[in-house]
Amino acid sequence: MATEGPSSSSAVVCNLAILDSLTDDSIRQIHDSYTGFCATTATLLTGAGDLSVGPEFIAHVHSLCHHGLHSLVRDHFLKSLEEIFEQNGASKFWRHFDAYTNFALLSKNQPPSYKDQMSEGRHPSDAERSHLFSRYQLLVSSVLMASLPRHFPEILHWYFKGRLEELSTIMGGEFNDDESQDKDEMDLDEKRKISYRTGEMDIDECSHQGRFLENNKLVKNIGKVVRDLRSLGFTSMTEDAYSSAIFLLLKAKVHDLAGDDYRSSVLESIKGWIQAVPLQFFRALLAYLGDSVSYDSPSSGLKSPLASHPSSCYPGIDTPSQGLVRWQLRLEYFAYETLQDLRIAKLFEIIVDYPDSSPAIEDLKQCLEYTGQHSKLVESFISALQYRLLTAGASTNDILHQYVSTIKALRTIDPAGVFLEAVGEPIRDYLRGRKDTIKCIVTMLTDGTGGNPNVSGNAGDSLLEELNRDEESQENTGSRNRRKVDILGMIVGIIGSKDQLVNEYRVMLAEKLLNKSDYDIDSEIRTLELLKAGVDIWHSLCCIRIFRLHFHVGTVILQIHFGENSMQKCEIMLNDLIDSKRTNSNIKATIAQTPLTGAEPGASAVSMDILDATIISSNFWPPIQDETLNVSEPVDNLLSDYAKRFNEIKTPRKLLWKKNLGTVKLELQFEDRAVQFTVAPVHAAIIMQFQDQTSWTSKNLAAAIGLPVDVLNRRINFWISKGILAESLGADSNDHVFTLMEGMVETNKNGGNSGSCEEILVGDDEGERSVASVEDQIRKEMTIYEKFIMGMLTNFGSMALDRIHNTLKMFCIADPPYDKSLQQLQSFLSGLVSEEKLELRDGMYFMKK
Amino acid sequence: MATITGYTETAQGYQDNTNVAVAAAPKHPNPPAKTVDTQSVLKRLQSELMALMMSGESGISAFPEEDNIFCWKGTIAGSKDTVFEGTEYKMSLSFSNDYPFKPRRSSLKPAASIPMWMCMEIFAWTFFRYFLFQIFLAGLDKWSSAYDVRTILLSIQSLLGEPNISSPLNTQAAQLWSNQEEYRKMVEKLYKPPTAA
Repeated sequence: MATEGPSSSSAVVCNLAILDSLTDDSIRQIHDSYTGFCATTATLLTGAGDLSVGPEFIAHVHSLCHHGLHSLVRDHFLKSLEEIFEQNGASKFWRHFDAYTNFALLSKNQPPSYKDQMSEGRHPSDAERSHLFSRYQLLVSSVLMASLPRHFPEILHWYFKGRLEELSTIMGGEFNDDESQDKDEMDLDEKRKISYRTGEMDIDECSHQGRFLENNKLVKNIGKVVRDLRSLGFTSMTEDAYSSAIFLLLKAKVHDLAGDDYRSSVLESIKGWIQAVPLQFFRALLAYLGDSVSYDSPSSGLKSPLASHPSSCYPGIDTPSQGLVRWQLRLEYFAYETLQDLRIAKLFEIIVDYPDSSPAIEDLKQCLEYTGQHSKLVESFISALQYRLLTAGASTNDILHQYVSTIKALRTIDPAGVFLEAVGEPIRDYLRGRKDTIKCIVTMLTDGTGGNPNVSGNAGDSLLEELNRDEESQENTGSRNRRKVDILGMIVGIIGSKDQLVNEYRVMLAEKLLNKSDYDIDSEIRTLELLKAGVDIWHSLCCIRIFRLHFHVGTVILQIHFGENSMQKCEIMLNDLIDSKRTNSNIKATIAQTPLTGAEPGASAVSMDILDATIISSNFWPPIQDETLNVSEPVDNLLSDYAKRFNEIKTPRKLLWKKNLGTVKLELQFEDRAVQFTVAPVHAAIIMQFQDQTSWTSKNLAAAIGLPVDVLNRRINFWISKGILAESLGADSNDHVFTLMEGMVETNKNGGNSGSCEEILVGDDEGERSVASVEDQIRKEMTIYEKFIMGMLTNFGSMALDRIHNTLKMFCIADPPYDKSLQQLQSFLSGLVSEEKLELRDGMYFMKK
Repeated sequence: MATITGYTETAQGYQDNTNVAVAAAPKHPNPPAKTVDTQSVLKRLQSELMALMMSGESGISAFPEEDNIFCWKGTIAGSKDTVFEGTEYKMSLSFSNDYPFKPRRSSLKPAASIPMWMCMEIFAWTFFRYFLFQIFLAGLDKWSSAYDVRTILLSIQSLLGEPNISSPLNTQAAQLWSNQEEYRKMVEKLYKPPTAA
């Protein structure tokens, strides 16, 4: 043996002091013993478990110890042990993992067997024994550490992963018998090895194994491995491995549970799982390791009640240990974070089906409360918005609905609205650049039919109704007004001012009212009240703002004032309708009493019944499209008669007919049948011309009706499409000839509807409107500003939005004065940019060269 | 009346000339009847601006600077079919309180009336100043209160194409004028597009 020389020489040196007290005999004895000891040591160590030389070895050790050579014996043995171990044991030990075998096969046969020999061969005091052990352990762990293969942590990780998955499966009650059988065998195998290794025949454990729960056994096995690894000095590595395995498992579990289903809350089940699987595991493990710590200490003796201890502690340690609580917190935080990340990544989808996905939102809220990573949410959601929503492909309606859902959803997560503000800003900015935003908002607010029905709970309800319902349902909660205010306020915030919203609504209302054939305005009144209520609350919100922002007081008050003004106009419009109804019946009542002088009694008496007038106070209505129209004489007479009677009743007020507005119900009688239509006056005027003359050239017809030829050609298409009129080329190529189709039955496609079918014309064709839309009004005004903008850009080269705005305010004070908001100007400018009149670079506008 | 001054002045002597003009003004007390308050000048300028904007005249443009309606910037594009075609000239216009009744210029002496005039960024003063200057003098002889910003700009634009070269101040330029091709080359050589304000 290579070490013999140095060892014996050191022994000689050590022996010098006590040399005198030694007899020749004893020296010889020592020498023999030592030589024998060295030989047997070598045999023992290289013999791999061959214990045949044991007694001889023990005898030599005894003899040496007898001569007080404890330290010599010890040193030599350990040194040879280390070398042999280094040569053979370590590489063998690691080789076991090369094939990625299950950790169960971890057979630490080599080192423990030496240990056994040690403990067997020597009988020193307990203290010395423990000292030896610790030296031995240090030795082993340092050797192993030094030769640690790179993939060892990975193997550990896989081992724990596999074990934990088994445990999880068992907990989930999903294992079948076959598997458990296999596992049982394997476990037994493992157990046997471990038992052998520790040199303790744990009969208790084996006999009780049958009634242990499967998981308990599994946990204990893991515990043993952990303990063994610890005793090998791999404490931190082991901990890393099993914690990472648990986290991985937990993550997989969270992903598995959460998935893409947002309709149910998963947080509780995740928590439950944490309690059931990893914590149970830790509880058992910690309990077990608690054992093993005491096991290592000499006072606890050799036998550890492994069998009884875990079962007694398994039902629950009464006071959870500090370590367990720490683990629970760690795991829960991790679970929250994982779920939160998962939900945040899918937040866009979640919000898309918001009312249904509120459990997911609720989960997210709890997660965020725990982790506090709101900023993550904001960032991720904004980028999702930018990629998926705020693109040219998305319709304004969709964006608005998503905006509303976002408001609702985020308000749950963050009642203070801070993050909502951050998230809402990009949407608002984007929407401001769209032309149809205001119109869509108003439609969404006031008209349920046009909206996206799958977003709100009840299809066909306007958003205002929905908000109102929300409010009523929250009647008793403290924040009952906030809900409504928030959403309405934030929607109005897109537009910039409520006036624009109200103006747009006014136009829409006017359109609706003018096309009504009766005086039924209940739903409009309802909507207006809701809108007003919303506005009132908005006012109170403004008042709160006044306290906060003193310098804004002026503007805000102005806004309130204007807001009421616009609202008043809407009210007046509705009142006009109510008044019209009354006036209408009053006028009709006069007919019976006093036939008007100058009027042909016959014509008017018959006709007056068919006329219902909507009398509007035009100052309060949006600008109305004016179109001259010559109606046929009897109708004209009727109208002037009506106007006269109105004047008599309401002196000094006079009635001015807008002949192009309203609806006309008429019945066309043919030889064999009659068809009813509800049409715009202009269509009626056209068809009435054919009463006396069945064929007209377009020029003549246009002159008779008082329309430009191109308008006539457009409008007359209605009748051509109905098969009432036919168009043919006249003598002049520009002059078309329209002829009444007498034999209409053949050409009529709706054969089944013949007779008294009523065709209702919903809305005018080709987007004809009776009221100038807000955009039209603005566009008209803006054309003046366009010239100013062109003028200033020609001379100043480039200007920023602010400067253009201010310059317009300063110099464009002619009629109408420039009174647009910055947002309006911006959207107008972006319109000019898209028309390629302007260019926008770095926030500066240029003339397009 | 309108005072049109070059705003990217590179010529020496400009300041002096301004002083002359200022000094000259008191010599001609305004007739009381023609004294108008700032307010009406303001109104007049505003309506002129409106008219100018709505006229949609191509090739000429002017707009008040930041916050002062008495100071305008103007742009003239060279007329078609002249040597100045495709070029653009910037100028400043400033208006006095008695605009548009009285031109400030008191004499026909060119030197004294330089502040009336403009600078064209493009041409080095040395080459063109007096020439252009003279053009405008001819125009100003006929000054009347019926003139407004628009007509001033228009006449400058047309005078660019048809200069009065009978009594040139810049003889070099006047001589060159007879050779339109050479002149165009000179314009192209000296022209630099106006920088963004």
